[in-house]
Amino acid sequence: MGFDLAFAASSLPTILGAIGTTLTVALVSCIGAAAIGFLFEMVRRAGGIAGLTVGFVIDFIRSTPVLAWLYFLYFVLPFYGVRLGSMTVGVMGLSLYYSGYLAEVFKAGIDAIPKGQPEAARALSLRRRDAVIYVIVPQMLRNIAAPLGNYFVSILKATPYLAVLAVPEMLGRAFDIASETYRYAEPLSVAAFIFLALALVISQGVKQLERWLLARG
Amino acid sequence: MSPFDIWLGILQGLGTTASVTAYGLVFAVPFALVFGVAQYLARGVARLLITGVIEFWRSSAVIILLFVFYYVLPVVGITLSALTVSAMVLGLNAGGYASQAVRAGLQALPSGQKEAGAALGLSRPAILLLIELPQALVAMSPTFVNTLIQLVKATALVSLVTLTDMTFRAKEIAQVEYNPVAIYTSLLLAFFVVCYPIALAGRWLEARIASPGSRAGGI
Repeated sequence: MGFDLAFAASSLPTILGAIGTTLTVALVSCIGAAAIGFLFEMVRRAGGIAGLTVGFVIDFIRSTPVLAWLYFLYFVLPFYGVRLGSMTVGVMGLSLYYSGYLAEVFKAGIDAIPKGQPEAARALSLRRRDAVIYVIVPQMLRNIAAPLGNYFVSILKATPYLAVLAVPEMLGRAFDIASETYRYAEPLSVAAFIFLALALVISQGVKQLERWLLARG
Repeated sequence: MSPFDIWLGILQGLGTTASVTAYGLVFAVPFALVFGVAQYLARGVARLLITGVIEFWRSSAVIILLFVFYYVLPVVGITLSALTVSAMVLGLNAGGYASQAVRAGLQALPSGQKEAGAALGLSRPAILLLIELPQALVAMSPTFVNTLIQLVKATALVSLVTLTDMTFRAKEIAQVEYNPVAIYTSLLLAFFVVCYPIALAGRWLEARIASPGSRAGGI
């Protein structure tokens, strides 16, 4: 039967039509992961029993596959009567999974801030909350911009996992075409190609951003 | 089934998880070494080609790559077992990541190392093998440990191409037993007990390498 280029080209518009879903899922998951990750890192930093517990939760998340988390949320939440759409569950899964990684990004970004900065904030008797908002976060943002961009690419590449939960993103569309036509090779290759192109373009953008931030000194 | 039986049932897939990982390393380690070193040494068009191959394996979405090779290879007349295809795709993806650590480790060495080797009259391959690679690989070993953990976790994907790993076992048990809490908690725990010790070993390595006064190269 061979690889049919014309058929591959004909499946391109349908698959590309889901690029909005893919990018939206990736963006929302990235924001969710950053929010949870930042919260995790703040609690871990504060220390005490809560800090140790959150530190362990981060380690636990980082030691388990994203696919297992997606299944966990998808099947366990309904057991407790929480019925959510598969897209919501998927975004929750990606957010939770990548929060463990982004917590480490925030940690590195905060550790790189010179010690004198939080000390000066304390000397000026800023409250801890104000020190975080006005002193730590603005300096941290510069440090984390590039790694955050790289994790956005990772999250983007993880969005096809949501096809397992029947979310109609690009891989899901490719499988729809495949099961209608019994031809898997072409639509899957097209989806792979689109994801590779997206990842490379965004990675280049992140590299430019990194260079720009470094040049500003 | 008691939660303990469920846990044991899932662990029946540990053999497949372990063999995909081990078999994946057979692809990952040579790829990382050869392509990492080649990218470090090559110039011009050769470097562009090498970077292209690395980026293909590293920047693709691994779940799609697995499906593509699983479905495309038979179409072009290459029939491989699901285990081989999985090990190859997951292994080369991990190898792509590790190759960047190999290259970065080599680039980070002070050029005095290479120059000292040349001053001693060593050939270029000897300098690479005896002076540059050993230092670069030791320095980057915590990164390799992280990549290994990523590989173990990525093996969960093989459940989607019919291999009976831990994730597949969890799905099988879920078909005969309605107890999602125990089943999927057990699955997460099963991966945790495999990956967490590796992560701790990686942290130990990192501390050893970073500690001042440790022997040259740390280990």
